[in-house]
Amino acid sequence: MTNVIQVAILGLLLGGVYALMAAGLTLAFGVMRIVNLAHAAFIIASAYISFFAFDKLGIDPLLSVVFVMPIMFFFGIAVYQALFRRIEGSAKFGEMTVLLTFGIAIMVEGLLGFVFTGIYRKAQPGYANESFIVDGLFLPEGDILFIPKGQFFASLLSIVLLVGLWAFLRYSQTGYAIRATTQNRAAAEIVGVNVRRVSAISFGLSTALAGASGALMSYLFPFFPFRHWQWVAVLLALVVLGGMGSMKGAVIGALVLGVASSFVVDQIGPTWGPMTFYLALFLILLIRPQGLFGKEVPV
Amino acid sequence: MAILEITDVSAGYGAGPDILQGLSLEVEEAQSYCIIGPNGAGKSTLLKVIAGLLHPRSGDVVFRGESLAHRRPDQVLATGVCFVPQDQALFPEMSVRENLIMGAYLLKDRALIKERLARVYEMFPILAERAGQDAGKMSGGQQQMLAMGRALMIDPILLMLDEPTLGLAPQIAQQIFSQVEQLKSMGLTVVIIEQNAQRGLELADWGVVLDLGIVRFEGPSEGILGDPRVRELYLGKAAGSGEKK
Repeated sequence: MTNVIQVAILGLLLGGVYALMAAGLTLAFGVMRIVNLAHAAFIIASAYISFFAFDKLGIDPLLSVVFVMPIMFFFGIAVYQALFRRIEGSAKFGEMTVLLTFGIAIMVEGLLGFVFTGIYRKAQPGYANESFIVDGLFLPEGDILFIPKGQFFASLLSIVLLVGLWAFLRYSQTGYAIRATTQNRAAAEIVGVNVRRVSAISFGLSTALAGASGALMSYLFPFFPFRHWQWVAVLLALVVLGGMGSMKGAVIGALVLGVASSFVVDQIGPTWGPMTFYLALFLILLIRPQGLFGKEVPV
Repeated sequence: MAILEITDVSAGYGAGPDILQGLSLEVEEAQSYCIIGPNGAGKSTLLKVIAGLLHPRSGDVVFRGESLAHRRPDQVLATGVCFVPQDQALFPEMSVRENLIMGAYLLKDRALIKERLARVYEMFPILAERAGQDAGKMSGGQQQMLAMGRALMIDPILLMLDEPTLGLAPQIAQQIFSQVEQLKSMGLTVVIIEQNAQRGLELADWGVVLDLGIVRFEGPSEGILGDPRVRELYLGKAAGSGEKK
């Protein structure tokens, strides 16, 4: 029983970080219908910023969020204005964004590989290899639980950022505009929302979330430029499970798959961990293509 | 005095042909207009052009001396021109209250928004009763009232309604007509496209008949209703008989 709780805790902690990663991807799709295949490449690029801030300047990866997020926010707005605005009116906007972001992902990967080479990196702050130890409580005598500090702090920060995002979307005027544009772009225009501006801000927010995710990735997972392909597959599985464009779905999908993959790793082996995501993607597309919280689109 | 002057406007969608073909029309302040015409005449396209959702290929749309021809929808709305499209265009997962607040998106004064909200609730008590309900879960008639209420949040000078009774049961449609009457009595300039042309013309001061992207006839509604050519061609009634064909 203790082992089950231990595995579930690890899964939930991991799921919290996945939720932050997926939130940015689903935001871009919800507001602008952009399937951003470059989202994971942006996460890796941000991980490099945090890694070098730690390595060269001694700045804690968790603290680096303070500057990585604004950098990525403005980077996202610049990318949107320079590239997506040009294809905005196209009837095949959705399809074109897939090709465009695929191209951006390859460019980012190439640039990172050129500048930083392909070697594995991972920041090593002191807490990354420490754990909180829990005993007593409801546990059988002699049993203990390990809560890795690095994952715990990362998950905590993810929750803080996601709650902040939720409050922003729920209560701010720009948040209202983003939600309105997500639900009905034409109606948003009619009530006076400048949907182009809102789209640019949303894309900026999406990349800022990629920035925060990258800061966490810098010490949680070893990374190198090519790694983004593996991550984007995982993230797509999370948002498809939750329903493309649904923030609630992305968070729940991330937590469910975080826990599921944790159990698969524990019971079958680490090689099978990533398979959990692909299997979930396969099953959800077969059974409920619109995802858990997505809406069916009439053909 | 004309507050809206549409001069020689041609407009269409994408690379398609012109739907509006050099259309000209003047709208007087505090008057109500009913636009009728066959399918494809350009009725909805005209309202979209005025609202800034579609830019004219040529010609001009001038509202109170300012050209709206190449403005964004939010810029047009800021001048006091508000459009309620055929499908109501609500935010289905937002509550009734949030939808109404979105109607006042361009306003910054919270006290004013609260005041307008109270006024809309007074006009449409059902919206106050359903304030917390998701808009997508309301009936068709209630959604139409919400769309109209949302348009009033900005306190428009010119309100354009595109087929507000489309798909509604006759009783509900009558309620909508009563609300439009009320808006007229408040001194609002109203332009309405109505599938029930007879009822729409009875409601309006002025009738406009569109055909093939131009104004074919216009004049006081009674005159349009009594015009045998209009009755024959657009109201589906034999001239002089008053009976449906």
